[in-house]
Amino acid sequence: MKLTPQEVKIQERLKPGVVTLDGFLGKDKRHYNEIIAEDLEVLKGLAKTKEEIADRLDYLTKKALPYDEDGVVIDEIYDLQYVTARGRIISPFMDRTFWPKGIITLKNLQNGVEIRWTPLSIHLIRRYGFFQGKGATFRTEPSDLIKAIF
Amino acid sequence: MLIIINNVLTFVGLSGVLSTIIVIADYFLANYGDCKIDINGKREITVKGGSSLLTSLAEKDIFVSSACGGRGTCGLCKVKGIDGCGPLLPTEKPYMSPKELEEGIRLSCQVKVKRDLKIEIPESIFSIRKYKSVVTAIEDYTYDIKRIEFKLIEPNEITFKAGQYVQLESKRYGKVRQPVMRAYSVSSNPSHTDYIELIIRKVPEGIMTTFTHDHLKEKDEISFTGPFGDFYIRDTGTDMFFVAGGSGMAPFKGMLEELNEKKSKRRIVFFFGARTTKDLFLLEEMKKFEEEMHDFKFIPILSHPEPNDGWDGLTGYIPPYFEEHLRDPKNTEGYLCGNPGLLNASEKRMRELGIEDIYYDSFG
Amino acid sequence: MEINSFVIFIAAIFTSNILLTNFLGMCSYLSISKDMEASAGLGMAVFFVLTFTSGLNYLAYHYILVPLNLVYLQYIIFIIVIAAFVQLLELVIERFSPVLYYSLGIFLPLITVNCAIFGISLFMIIRNYTFIQSIAFGAGSGLGWLLAILALAGIRGKVREKMLPKGMNNAAISLIITGIMALAFIGFSGVVIIQ
Repeated sequence: MKLTPQEVKIQERLKPGVVTLDGFLGKDKRHYNEIIAEDLEVLKGLAKTKEEIADRLDYLTKKALPYDEDGVVIDEIYDLQYVTARGRIISPFMDRTFWPKGIITLKNLQNGVEIRWTPLSIHLIRRYGFFQGKGATFRTEPSDLIKAIF
Repeated sequence: MLIIINNVLTFVGLSGVLSTIIVIADYFLANYGDCKIDINGKREITVKGGSSLLTSLAEKDIFVSSACGGRGTCGLCKVKGIDGCGPLLPTEKPYMSPKELEEGIRLSCQVKVKRDLKIEIPESIFSIRKYKSVVTAIEDYTYDIKRIEFKLIEPNEITFKAGQYVQLESKRYGKVRQPVMRAYSVSSNPSHTDYIELIIRKVPEGIMTTFTHDHLKEKDEISFTGPFGDFYIRDTGTDMFFVAGGSGMAPFKGMLEELNEKKSKRRIVFFFGARTTKDLFLLEEMKKFEEEMHDFKFIPILSHPEPNDGWDGLTGYIPPYFEEHLRDPKNTEGYLCGNPGLLNASEKRMRELGIEDIYYDSFG
Repeated sequence: MEINSFVIFIAAIFTSNILLTNFLGMCSYLSISKDMEASAGLGMAVFFVLTFTSGLNYLAYHYILVPLNLVYLQYIIFIIVIAAFVQLLELVIERFSPVLYYSLGIFLPLITVNCAIFGISLFMIIRNYTFIQSIAFGAGSGLGWLLAILALAGIRGKVREKMLPKGMNNAAISLIITGIMALAFIGFSGVVIIQ
């Protein structure tokens, strides 16, 4: 399918060394449109919308923030830790948004699933359904994500 | 044969004529001549029209803050447009609050200089310069924090207030194809005007900190712009509470060196939060400050001391320790530098205790 | 052709509307029709381009290609003329109305490949119009395009997303509205026939 110049530019910004050191594509050679399409199909099968996932991640992030690196256990199930860094990171999708820098790690004490995300990755999921390319540092398969946070 | 020549000539001829017309039109339409920019009613510069306001000002060594280099994505390069800036563009609107729209605030990277302009910018911008420097020292403070010294080459002097920050510019390395700019607080004493020192903590997958920790060596040349920021000691004489975590130590180191040099009589309590003893550093310096300064106390607090650390100091979170060191809340100022969680909790506790003047770096 | 130029002008707007009758120029029409102001701006730009390029292409065809026996080059030459003119128009708009320039964004240079523009030039050659007739045809088609896009933007503004089944809010509803408008415009047919 023909790509608009904007889509070509955004794909470049998803590569390593432009917005983040390792980029958002991992080992995936596909265009982000295809990655999003496949993941959204999976979501449909799991009966969860991207907004529901993003809202849940936002809720957990907000709960983890006051505890910084010390970590906290929420609702007796979610073991969270939020490591922050100074400055803001720009969204690679050229939508003029900026996000706090930080990594939130979660371990679900009930089923043992461990995942991690960043405030930017929540925005990418919510707005674009972009879970990042296979092998990317902050990609979690939607199925694992849902298992971990719901 | 003739047909082919005819074809080619017509084709080339017509294209050539049309291209020439476009080039001429471009010359006249896109040529705006020399334009005068009146700044704050005090300074007037003349630039060649056609570039953005941001670039035109930068060419005259006036550096409006920018994180995206003029691409219209960071919203930091705001100036007040008094006259001549043209209508507000759809690319600027998302970054403006209603109050800013009323005041005529513009994004200088989106305003094209086409005619004489009148603008207003904060006075502090005039002292911002771009500096070329060379790395003269790199030292490990902890497993993830380094101290790096940059000696100034050109200009060879810098004037700043302790607590301000600079924007360091990385170079291309590995898979990073474009330089990036990141902000770091200056940790050296402002009275040393020929170099600056930064304390940088390695951020996992961070473009700049991977550059400074893994690729930067002594004798490397590097540029930075600055100084920026409103985080500095207010000249009041009140007691001061410093609160920092990790690399948040940086601005306070410079502040303490300066206060010590000036023999300040102010009462200062420095609460420093870390996880384990591995995260503590500059302990000797802090002891030296305690001995030499009039009334300075350094209070390290560990949140997760390891059992075999032998730590017999304070543990837990920082805010609960404020009260016992507080003398007079109406005469105490709070200076904070660290994670959002720490800042929020500290500010909340300070306000509960009656401290009203609280300052922190806002580039988080 | 012995038709009065003014008749051609009117016919190009209504009975032979380039968009609703001939279905040319649909792509930018569909994409930009959500925003009334941008639609009006784009419509005006298309009007200018159509009027001038029909005249320019007429001159290029009859005074360069025909004498040199290079009539088969008309496809390439027309496109070059259209592209050059759109470039010039871009420069002018950027200079005199930066707001319009930014709100049109990518759609301004996309006018170059708008099939309506190219189609008008080809039609006027096929139908053997004179110079005045060509200009009238170009201007009328431009106005017809402008009318169609304004009508679509206006109608889309009234259709609220909640009224539609899921997924129909973009191209689907635009095409349906366009189809209904085309049906309405069939009512004009027979008033005058120019094709």
